[in-house]
Amino acid sequence: MALINVAAREIHGKIVYYGPGLSGKTTNLQYIHSRIPAHTKGELLSIETETERTLFFDFLPLDLGKVHGFTIRFHLYTVPGQVLYERTRVAVLNGTDGVVFVADAQRDRLADNLQSLRELAQNITAQGKRFLDFPLVMQYNKTDLPDALPTPVLDRYLNTIKAPRFEAVAVTGKGVFETLRAISKLVVNKL
Amino acid sequence: MIPFDRALSNLVVTEEDTAQITACLQRLIADSGASYSMVLDRAGQILAWESDSIRPEMQHLGALLAATYASTREMARLLNEDGFRTLLQEGLREKIFTETVQDDWLLVVIFDHQAHLGLVKVLAKRATTVLSGILDLVRERSMQANQTPRLAQVRKATTDTIDLLFKDDSSGTKDPSSK
Repeated sequence: MALINVAAREIHGKIVYYGPGLSGKTTNLQYIHSRIPAHTKGELLSIETETERTLFFDFLPLDLGKVHGFTIRFHLYTVPGQVLYERTRVAVLNGTDGVVFVADAQRDRLADNLQSLRELAQNITAQGKRFLDFPLVMQYNKTDLPDALPTPVLDRYLNTIKAPRFEAVAVTGKGVFETLRAISKLVVNKL
Repeated sequence: MIPFDRALSNLVVTEEDTAQITACLQRLIADSGASYSMVLDRAGQILAWESDSIRPEMQHLGALLAATYASTREMARLLNEDGFRTLLQEGLREKIFTETVQDDWLLVVIFDHQAHLGLVKVLAKRATTVLSGILDLVRERSMQANQTPRLAQVRKATTDTIDLLFKDDSSGTKDPSSK
């Protein structure tokens, strides 16, 4: 739920990067943090395991500056993707205004992508929101890998709702900012 | 208590709301001897805060506390509980006491050894009653028709800012399909 604080002249939005384990959610935030102007970003907070898998969430606050007297802030989060952390994902999704679904484009991850997407739809619906109306952007990550499925195949299985979608190679940054632009605009247009 | 519309997409907090919430927090801090207090929404965003010093780490703390509370809510579901209403974290120098306000907001109080935990709990309880009334009105107003006519301008200008700030520095393929 976007927060419009008239007294403080601030508008806050929460965006969550969702998807199966090791799909590239954290990599997206790390790339954004490494490239975005310093005055726009806060510290990237990561709560992770010893093997650098996300345990709770990653958090990156962005400050877009003043727009018509209002300071626009986005809080970017990732969820832990491993199956074990299903309930943690529900917790992190609390109050979210938009979701980027990061799918792993590799052939053998299709089932994991589908399971994760199904779970996302259930979790959004459980929050009392209509999934079809919810700000959602799809990102097909790791499209550079030799066993990556073709985009039309991924579309057929993962994007039947025709959400905006982007091919990406998050480790190099390809598609990362396009994805962020798209979800940010969807969230803003919901204000 | 006004039932929460879970499809509510915006929460609009006016100057008057913020002034009332801040006054409540000021009283809480003054009476309890705490050093910092804030009200968060369930997304971890700070509605209002009051402190005896500048604490730049509070943005991250808000995100962590909200996620932690949401996590404890899931724990409660597993235990067939309605929820855990309070959370206490004790450090060597400071403690953090968190209490829910109508399940949708959190009152956070940070204090050191100069404040007594029992007193903080009692006064926090009193504050949540006051905050509950204020936040009911915030929610009710937010459910009504859009009260901020400037939002259309803000939306347009913000999308321009997004294009400027989130510039690509590597190529990507975009799908023309949209919702």
